[in-house]
Amino acid sequence: MFDYFANPTRFVRIADRITKPLALLTFGLIAAGLYYGLYASPADYQQGETVRIMYVHVPAAWLASIGYVALGLSGLFYVVWRHPLADLALRAIAPVGALFALLTLITGAFWGKPMWGAWWVWDARLTSMLILFFFYLGVMALADGFDRRERGSRPAALLALVGLINVPIVKFSVDWWNTLHQPASLLRSGGVAIDSAMLLPLLLMLVGFHGFFALIVIWRIKAQLAERRIAAIGLKGGDK
Amino acid sequence: MNGFLRQIRRDLVISWAGRLDSAVMLVFFVIIVTLFPLAIGPEASVLAPLAIPIIWIAALLSILAGFERIFAGDVRSGWLDQVTLSALSLPYYVVAKAIAHWLVTALPLVLATPVMGILLQIDLGLIAGLLLSLLLGTMGLTLLGVIGAGLAQGARRGGALMALLVLPLAVPILIFGVLASASATLISPHLMLLGAVVAILLALAPLIGAAALREIDEEIGL
Repeated sequence: MFDYFANPTRFVRIADRITKPLALLTFGLIAAGLYYGLYASPADYQQGETVRIMYVHVPAAWLASIGYVALGLSGLFYVVWRHPLADLALRAIAPVGALFALLTLITGAFWGKPMWGAWWVWDARLTSMLILFFFYLGVMALADGFDRRERGSRPAALLALVGLINVPIVKFSVDWWNTLHQPASLLRSGGVAIDSAMLLPLLLMLVGFHGFFALIVIWRIKAQLAERRIAAIGLKGGDK
Repeated sequence: MNGFLRQIRRDLVISWAGRLDSAVMLVFFVIIVTLFPLAIGPEASVLAPLAIPIIWIAALLSILAGFERIFAGDVRSGWLDQVTLSALSLPYYVVAKAIAHWLVTALPLVLATPVMGILLQIDLGLIAGLLLSLLLGTMGLTLLGVIGAGLAQGARRGGALMALLVLPLAVPILIFGVLASASATLISPHLMLLGAVVAILLALAPLIGAAALREIDEEIGL
């Protein structure tokens, strides 16, 4: 199956076909999520209006984590099978994941100021998100750290792979160190602990953000493929 | 296995020939420690509780400063090519480099730690635990350094890049190391967790390091 998708031309063909519906779906979901999140849902009895930050914060945090798994898997595919698309995916995912991690930190700070009384506290989940952000930056810096661009592919893939193993250990150690953040309320044993009026916009945003993530990554991969073609044409010196 | 020991001996001989370099690293460690009281203030009541974290940060930074050189000389002189051709497999070579590097850079630093602790007014009862956890922790850091050095070998901005690669991954070592150093019992759960992290890195670092070095090797072959 991976062989099938590893062909760049085939990838572009499939990507072209799904980009438009995916974009429409994504922006539809996010628009609906924002409508329900910002207008059509109640304020929290404890947190007041600030609870609405959650509709961006939680999906962003989720995507930052999923992006990191995707990054590690791209690294694995590149190291083991040397798929050229895995390298492109790695380079495409890293900045997007970093952005979601940063978005999580910033929205978290906006929420933390009125709720905890501080923009930043050294809580375990904040700290591990910050470290995840640094980790994304490291992969980006390594991928582009060499004079010849392709030379950075394997080191970056290896680093992503190391991160796949090490970042859970980082998370565990930081949890051990200090915890203040509330526990998860979506994925937990004993069912969802959130009212359906708030669950609806949250789920809409969550699915919408996934679509957004996929969309940006696909666009970035296509842009890299186009960049490569331009470079190849330039090398040949031809006009097509 | 014989080649393994010979590789370690070779590195030790080379380091002994350039022993001033290792001395400079040790002085770097001492100076970082010295700067803290100058910034924080000389009172024992302030310094004593900060002694362990200060020593750990200083150790982390001074060890980090040496990572860039782990493979640089071997790549430049062509020794890495010779190793690739020899019977010594690359993962073993990486472990040998890590052991030699640890002996040359981390061990002197650990030996100097009691004196640094006294400078920082540390509670003397904590020194044994601090030494033990530093011994283990510097091993883990050196293994991370081998990974980082292999990955960043030949990169632009080598040193700064190395810090960006290694420091986030060094968080567990720092956390468990400091907790283990500060705990009342010598063999604390934190020390065991630190040992577990080092064991995982020992399994991981040779393979990742070797995979990264193979890339350099192909680069030279181009």
